[in-house]
Amino acid sequence: MRETRLWSVHLLVIPIIVVLLGAHFAVMHYAPVFYGVSIEEARNFETMIERGRSVAQLVLYILLLAAALYHGLYGLRGILRELTLTPGLGKIVDTSIILLGLFIFALGAYVTWWTFSFKIGG
Amino acid sequence: MNSNKPTAYNNRLGVKGWVYAGRYTFERYLYLGHRLSGLGLIAYMVLHIVETANRMRGEEAWAALMTLFASPLFRVIEYLLFAAAVFHAMNGVRLLLTELGFFLGKPREPVYPYSSSIKRHRPLTYIIMALAGLIIILGGSSLFFP
Repeated sequence: MRETRLWSVHLLVIPIIVVLLGAHFAVMHYAPVFYGVSIEEARNFETMIERGRSVAQLVLYILLLAAALYHGLYGLRGILRELTLTPGLGKIVDTSIILLGLFIFALGAYVTWWTFSFKIGG
Repeated sequence: MNSNKPTAYNNRLGVKGWVYAGRYTFERYLYLGHRLSGLGLIAYMVLHIVETANRMRGEEAWAALMTLFASPLFRVIEYLLFAAAVFHAMNGVRLLLTELGFFLGKPREPVYPYSSSIKRHRPLTYIIMALAGLIIILGGSSLFFP
């Protein structure tokens, strides 16, 4: 039952990733196509800070971070757990992936919060 | 004693099983591509989060990083990342449809010549992959020739 729940969440986060990653690509990688501004301008420090100071961006980026990390690390766990592992090694893999996920999530969320609370000229 | 005897924890082929499956169907290559692109994307994501933390070191550090990313080599890497994401997403749509039982046809009597659900699903597979290829080409043209 636990594995079914984990697998279901792995599938349920897909629409979130597709929509938000699509938006991220549009803003950061395809700004000339979608917004008529150059990539350099879109990635400029001030522009990036200005975007990051919106509540919507704060919430959506943390949501994307959580969804993509879960999806990716669950996939990695599946690949590793397919290999010949003893139950003890399997638990080590699980724990390592959870710790890595928590660390990366904490870092990403902190950077997003830092951007959100950045004071221009301060 | 047969060392290949399956046990509860014995994945006999291990990583070799990714490419050696006995039958090399189109879906097998998609499976391999899905895994490799997934591993590439998660590795990139971890690096990407660490790299974007660089903004906390100030405007100059950020500008230096963006100058590096504007180089032709990083443009190509960026495109490969885009292509991997598109392939992974489109193949994921196919897997999701399969997982939920769509486009597999109704179960039939196994009468020769056999028609497996994989074969019935294959036209959709080709359409999805053609669409992925189109998006990858269009994405490349927009990235390199904006």
